[in-house]
Amino acid sequence: MVWSWIPQNGTIIWQYTLDNLLLGLLPPLIGLAISVPLGIACARWRPLYPPALGVASGIYALPSLALFVVLIDYTGLGNVTVIIPLTLFSLCILLPAVVDGLRGVPEPVRQAATAMGFGPLRRLAQVELPLAIPVVNAGLRVAVVSSISLASLGQLIGVSSLGYFFIDGFQRDFPTEIYISLFLIILMALICDLLLVIAGRLLTPWRRDAGGISQAQTRAAEAVGQGAT
Amino acid sequence: MITFDHVTKRYPDGTVAVDGLDLEVPAGKIMVLVGPSGCGKTTSLRMINRLVEPTSGSIRLDGQDVQAANPSELRRGIGYVIQQTGLFPHRTIEDNIATVPLLAGWKKQEARDRARDLMTLVGLEPETMAKRYPHQLSGGQQQRVGVARALAADPPVLLMDEPFSAVDPIVRASLQDELIRLQAELQKTVVLVTHDVEEAIKVGDLVAIFRPGGHLAQVDTPERILGAPIDEYVQDFVGFDRGIRRLSFFAAAGLKLETDTVVARSTTVADAMAIAARAGEPWVLVTDDAGAGPLGWAATSDLSARPSGSQLGDMRLAPVGHTFRPETDSLRAALDATILSRTERAVAVDGSGQVLGTTSYERLRDAISAAEDAADRGEPVPTAARVAQPAAEPAAQAAAERTDGT
Repeated sequence: MVWSWIPQNGTIIWQYTLDNLLLGLLPPLIGLAISVPLGIACARWRPLYPPALGVASGIYALPSLALFVVLIDYTGLGNVTVIIPLTLFSLCILLPAVVDGLRGVPEPVRQAATAMGFGPLRRLAQVELPLAIPVVNAGLRVAVVSSISLASLGQLIGVSSLGYFFIDGFQRDFPTEIYISLFLIILMALICDLLLVIAGRLLTPWRRDAGGISQAQTRAAEAVGQGAT
Repeated sequence: MITFDHVTKRYPDGTVAVDGLDLEVPAGKIMVLVGPSGCGKTTSLRMINRLVEPTSGSIRLDGQDVQAANPSELRRGIGYVIQQTGLFPHRTIEDNIATVPLLAGWKKQEARDRARDLMTLVGLEPETMAKRYPHQLSGGQQQRVGVARALAADPPVLLMDEPFSAVDPIVRASLQDELIRLQAELQKTVVLVTHDVEEAIKVGDLVAIFRPGGHLAQVDTPERILGAPIDEYVQDFVGFDRGIRRLSFFAAAGLKLETDTVVARSTTVADAMAIAARAGEPWVLVTDDAGAGPLGWAATSDLSARPSGSQLGDMRLAPVGHTFRPETDSLRAALDATILSRTERAVAVDGSGQVLGTTSYERLRDAISAAEDAADRGEPVPTAARVAQPAAEPAAQAAAERTDGT
């Protein structure tokens, strides 16, 4: 470990960390924006879900590097070539989370909402989506953590990220670079995960002390998290 | 008033849930739909607020066909309570109750004020409960919130689908009493679905008994259902002890009481024996002073062994046992008190506990026959109060429910 390497390269480390963070965060956010409406559609029109899930799982099984290579022909050696596969990966995790979250809304609650005069849209916005938050958030945590670490692969096609130090450290036989960038990736992932946990708690005040329904939802959320990792 | 006009519900797979139902629910009354599973009672209920659409026939609410109304607006005018409560887990108790007012466009503060009023009405303390979430309440409390939520926008109609089936028997009984009390105050048009015929008879002004296959067997007052079941099906459905249960509907006020053998404790043994002999009674009831509280029973067989000049208050008396109040209790309560008494006699008291007289099997038999004959001829019979026990303080009840676990 050569500690002096850190202050000597402070600027470039900071730059690559920021690049990696943005490259890691953008895909899950885009994935969320797509999977919420898609998940709502799948939860409503059930026959839509199996094919949608099949396609998503198929994509998830592809090696990301292979996707980069395929995409280079269309989108070139740029951010977009990295963001597209990572967004697809996030989608694979988030789509089931949204659908499971919406399906996890207890039927009596849905029925009571309808019987009290909620129209379908209002019911979705005021009852079903809020109740799906814990499960969706669990999926989002998995997607963000994996996306931040996968973003470092972008360096292989020249998109700047902490992956630069992996390659450089390996080529120069200088492990300090590798350790530092590894540490930074893990740190970023943990911080983002923690922020999502806090956001989840703020958004779901009713779950502060676990009771019947919220416990069931916690279990569902954990099941999603385990399934995705 | 709710009118079912030849309503049929047939599902795509060919199952007929409700078959040509004609039914009228009078305004301001509780109509209980009761029957075995799959008899179409819940389907019938859900067609009123259009959670289920009929295949044919029409349902009118105060003359207006519900099919013609906008479903969401229709539903905001119809309270709905279900067994699993369907409370919103993510909303506080006051916001759950305020749901319909908020949907109807009330200001937030007005809706919350209304919610707190309703919490008091159903026996929940707003100060401690308003900001809690549903999972922090016991089953009985959640069901009270469900009722409050259904009443929030003051709808003229209330639909209740097995509202008390998921709570334990003690809480269920108190919720039923509460419903009867609320109904006396609010006069809603209530349709309540249950599979429990006891509940139907207890809370219903009218009871509609369904047969499997979505047919009506009988629609009548609870007393008539017990007294004049239309056929064997209804007879079996209401149970073997319907004769006894029917007595709940006859007031004990018509009972002729024995008063001659009620004697004060200062009466001498000789006088008491003379009174008993004149009345032909083997027991006299001893009170502490003339007309005051009952002390116990003295048997004539014991009296003969005592010095004739001694007072009744000095001897050992058989316990009084359960008493009944003719002004509020039913003949069933009077009969029950008589059965439980070792003297085969029961003591009638007034509201302050003063003895009004005593009754026996013979006297009860006469009163029961008279009431049944009058009822069978369709004459008005004085009916007993719906809830025999004075309702406990709502707050005390809520406190009791808190112990039944969350």
